[in-house]
Amino acid sequence: MRTPLENRPLIALSLAGLPSQARAHLVETGLGPVYDGIAHFAMTPEDLIPVFALAVFAGLRGRDHARRVIFMLPLAWLLAGLLGAAARISQPESLSWVPLLVLGGLVAADVRLPAAATTAIAAAVGLFLGLANGDAMAQAGSGVRGVVGIVGAVFVVTILGAACTVAWQSGWLRIAWRVAGSWIAAVGLLLLGWSLR
Amino acid sequence: MIGVRRIARTVAAALLVLLGGLPAARAHETRPAYLELKETASGRFSVIWRTPVLAGMRLPVALKLPDGVRNVEEPRVQELPDSLLERRSVDAGPAGLAGQRIEFPGLQLTITDVLVRIERLDGTRSTELVRPSRPFLEVVAPRGTLATINVFLAQGIEHILLGVDHLLFVLGLLAIVRTPWMLVKTITAFTVAHSITLAIATLGYASVPAPPLNVAIALSILFLGPEIVRAWRGETSFTIRHPWVVAFAFGLLHGFGFASGLAALGLPQNEIPLALLAFNVGVEVGQLAFVALILLLVRALKVLQVHWPRPVALLPAYAVGSLGAFWTIQRLVLMVEGG
Repeated sequence: MRTPLENRPLIALSLAGLPSQARAHLVETGLGPVYDGIAHFAMTPEDLIPVFALAVFAGLRGRDHARRVIFMLPLAWLLAGLLGAAARISQPESLSWVPLLVLGGLVAADVRLPAAATTAIAAAVGLFLGLANGDAMAQAGSGVRGVVGIVGAVFVVTILGAACTVAWQSGWLRIAWRVAGSWIAAVGLLLLGWSLR
Repeated sequence: MIGVRRIARTVAAALLVLLGGLPAARAHETRPAYLELKETASGRFSVIWRTPVLAGMRLPVALKLPDGVRNVEEPRVQELPDSLLERRSVDAGPAGLAGQRIEFPGLQLTITDVLVRIERLDGTRSTELVRPSRPFLEVVAPRGTLATINVFLAQGIEHILLGVDHLLFVLGLLAIVRTPWMLVKTITAFTVAHSITLAIATLGYASVPAPPLNVAIALSILFLGPEIVRAWRGETSFTIRHPWVVAFAFGLLHGFGFASGLAALGLPQNEIPLALLAFNVGVEVGQLAFVALILLLVRALKVLQVHWPRPVALLPAYAVGSLGAFWTIQRLVLMVEGG
């Protein structure tokens, strides 16, 4: 028989899984839904930081990984975003910080994965975050055009992040990227803990 | 080779089909509405309320003055080719409009703004931009020149970011130039040219009617499509050898386009130089940001050694050409129909 203490992780995970009102940093730029989508992405750390972390992770693994991620991530994001906007699927708020923790951890540990695994991670991140974005854009009335704006911004950040990492990773720079990853993981852990309190 | 051509033709046809579903795209479809309140006696204001008209449809924005304000003179509406102009006189009482709220019902449903200019008896002026996200204005004490600069700087940036045709022309130029020095020359030529005509038109020395101007701007984009394809095939032409000349020539046209965005505001003559400067700087800031982003992306794709299949590599050229052709036909039809 499990003691209450042993059940604590299970309880925490169950609580994390409880759906709550999707948190949305809805931004109205006055420039239309596409720009609203771009601004939404830029102002939402739980979207922006994981994308950057994934780009860095792919860049650290080399050009082949980076090339796969820069196309897979926006594609998955677009599909999930359209689905989220149409079906209005909201996600538990606390789960939104998990990608920071996971991707920051991958960067910090400089984990060596096969290219297919990196691509799968990109697809999973795109589907997970895109679904929440689609719902947020539908809430804001920006709909599909808002999702298109977000996906465009995701594409740009991923390409620039991956290219910077590929170009600058010799010597201490690689360590600097890994330190950045550890900070991202720490932020993710902190915010996940905060959201579960 | 035949397969590639077939794919390219299919993509171009698909683009055209997609474009058929797009609304009428113009450089100036986001012209702001304009409200001018000029204090003629203590608490009395002459009101000019101008709302843009697009293809016969008035912008669905209303003007709601504070409750205590009453009409001294009933509104007189004048129909202009591109807008509706409403004039009247109102009395806001001895306290004037300070601290009161002017509302714009319906603005939240649009993507345009309302430019509000208030001129008081003591000669102080203030200019504010009311956005759809906050469709009202709390009238406060004048904020001076800096606030006016901020407003027109924002308008300039907004105008270029929403002016898809201007951005597409710049993208076409970027696709043609081959060396960094040529890029600097070309972008500088475009900037100088559109600054010249923007100033000339805004200061009232020359004007071009909007319908043929919009057609000519669309033609400038269409013109670049085949040139991009030619450049990527390794062929040459006058445009490819001297893109800055083309940038300068068509830049003059685009400057008239920018000017119509500013002149449509109907600003008083004494505020135009400042507004013109701030607006032009805003346009340049937006344009340079766009150029920087494109160059960064191109550089990043080179670092990642992304090799596009040939039909995909030609997509930007076909996108520029197809959109140019689409807008040319669309605007030509609108011009012939008198829209």
